[in-house]
Amino acid sequence: MNASSTSSKPVVGEPSIRTHALHALAYCERLFYLEEVEELRVADAAVFAGRRLHVQLQEEGERVELELASEALGLHGRVDAVRTREGTLVVYEHKRGRHAPGQDAPEAWPSDRLQAGAYALLVEERFPGAPVECRVRYHQTDTTVRFPLDTALRGAVAAAVARARLLRASRERPPVTQEERKCAKCSLAPVCLPEEERQVAGEERPRLFPEDDVRQVLHVATPGTRVGRAAEELVVTPPEGEGAPSRQPGRMVSALIAHGAVQVSAQALAYCVENDIGVHWFTSGGRYLGGLGGGGGNVHRRLRQFEALRQQDVCLGLARRLVAAKLEGQLRFLLRASRGDSESRQVLASAVRDLRALLPKCAEAPSLEVLLGLEGTGAARYFGALPYLQGEDVDARLRFDGRNRRPPRDRFNAVLGFLYGLVHREVEAAIRAVGLDVAFGFYHQPRGTAGPLGLDVMELFRVPLADMPLVASVNRRAWDADADFEVTSEHVWLRKAGRAKAIELYERRKRETWKHNVLGYSLSYARLVELEVRLLEKEWTGKPGLFATFRLR
Amino acid sequence: MAEPRRWYLITYDIRDPRRWRKVHALLKGYGEWLQLSVFRCSLTDRDREKLRWELSRRMDAVDTLLVIGLCGGCVERVRTINAKEDWPEEPAPFKVL
Repeated sequence: MNASSTSSKPVVGEPSIRTHALHALAYCERLFYLEEVEELRVADAAVFAGRRLHVQLQEEGERVELELASEALGLHGRVDAVRTREGTLVVYEHKRGRHAPGQDAPEAWPSDRLQAGAYALLVEERFPGAPVECRVRYHQTDTTVRFPLDTALRGAVAAAVARARLLRASRERPPVTQEERKCAKCSLAPVCLPEEERQVAGEERPRLFPEDDVRQVLHVATPGTRVGRAAEELVVTPPEGEGAPSRQPGRMVSALIAHGAVQVSAQALAYCVENDIGVHWFTSGGRYLGGLGGGGGNVHRRLRQFEALRQQDVCLGLARRLVAAKLEGQLRFLLRASRGDSESRQVLASAVRDLRALLPKCAEAPSLEVLLGLEGTGAARYFGALPYLQGEDVDARLRFDGRNRRPPRDRFNAVLGFLYGLVHREVEAAIRAVGLDVAFGFYHQPRGTAGPLGLDVMELFRVPLADMPLVASVNRRAWDADADFEVTSEHVWLRKAGRAKAIELYERRKRETWKHNVLGYSLSYARLVELEVRLLEKEWTGKPGLFATFRLR
Repeated sequence: MAEPRRWYLITYDIRDPRRWRKVHALLKGYGEWLQLSVFRCSLTDRDREKLRWELSRRMDAVDTLLVIGLCGGCVERVRTINAKEDWPEEPAPFKVL
């Protein structure tokens, strides 16, 4: 039988499929789609170990890599090795793991069979006439599994290629696989969020959500500092007379944040972009200017975002939930901070009552304008009540007396504005990491340099990431009203010491873990930000209903 | 709740100055240079595998590499003379410079 007779005819000009992708396809169709169509690739420890195996094989000198492509099959790929054994062409595929348990002899996993079979077909087409055999070598168990290129395998490869073409043409993400144990070993689980999707179906599931980014966040807060690159290190050189340069191992940095007049060299920027290190700029006053970060290949996610957010009812629905979540966050903070304190409860009672009355109105708000009104009323009640959460013995200069900004006119607002800037950065970085566009939101209107989507999502985190830790730190008397602030007639700035305190307060808060009230597992606030953005994306990729559902206790 | 990290002591013997420089520069990106051909790095499993992959591309068959994983108890038993600093249990999650 000729190989080309079994495969469906490819459309002229359609790019061929990577043979390796068939392996992903046999494992999970959604994995194939995310990798091949959406170009999301996450390398975990196993992926790097696999690459190392291939480098080692090369060093051992017994490898004959062969690049093969076939228009008739619609496939291309690189065969690990091809050898001749007694007139038979043997295709070798090396795998790091263990073989599949067979009834009497070791067997190859179905996805490996498929991949080896596809290579065998490519080899057959390149060297016509010779019989072809497949061998998969499993290095962990040191076994080799042999199987012939038979009719069944040919059929399986042809069917897989046809299926891959179909999926590639589709714009729908395939559903999460039924075999959930596959997800536990899948490198894309943090992006695919299989268990969160299953949660929607209301079942109990193990937790697969990714761990925290353990790399460091580097805040460069001294004006005049230069950041350069030396091979794999970031070299932070303070201005003359302020100490020696400090060197940071580049792979251990997750974000570089420049506050004010900090110079970052083009080489350092290129290194950051290449190694997935976000770079963000703040003004010396603490306003977020913007940043770099996030990879390419996000076309599909952005198209879906644009399509979804062009629909007014989608935007309104999301905005209603967002404002409700914000108001409820403010309400709960007031209740929580005044717990067991009947005196302040009295004062806060009316604010709490008013906020509570606003909540049901959010659900039936007919337009974004009405929601803006509700949010404004809520903010007025909330900020009006906030001073009563401050202890009796708090320094009068650090008392909160109404929100003001641009420029902040008192010390409390100076820190609050600075913290909001940091929250804004966190949210924008998460939006970029998920592959969405900050410039297209559902509630806020574009304003200055700030993208509406960043401002939208940020509303969820103002209370837990900025208001709560700040009120607590003021009550702890963590601030020095003289040394931490620079007061002029027009506005109040944070001094270097104060800025370092604010950064520390925020970064510590971000690492605190917290149990999600809907998804039911613990995660840090830093992860929560990214999770919320991923859940927002789910609102228009098949599993709506989870965005903006988290609540403080 | 972070991805678990562990301290590793990484030592190497590279027989060619060109390759040595490359390996040295790469390791500086992952951790701290303690002494001649000795580094200490706090790595997750993923970092470790990535590092070993990247090293394997820079090293030759005659070069050798030793990666020593240290448990919490091992780290406590580390004794040094004139060391730059001690071994923190968990490297700081952020830095203000």
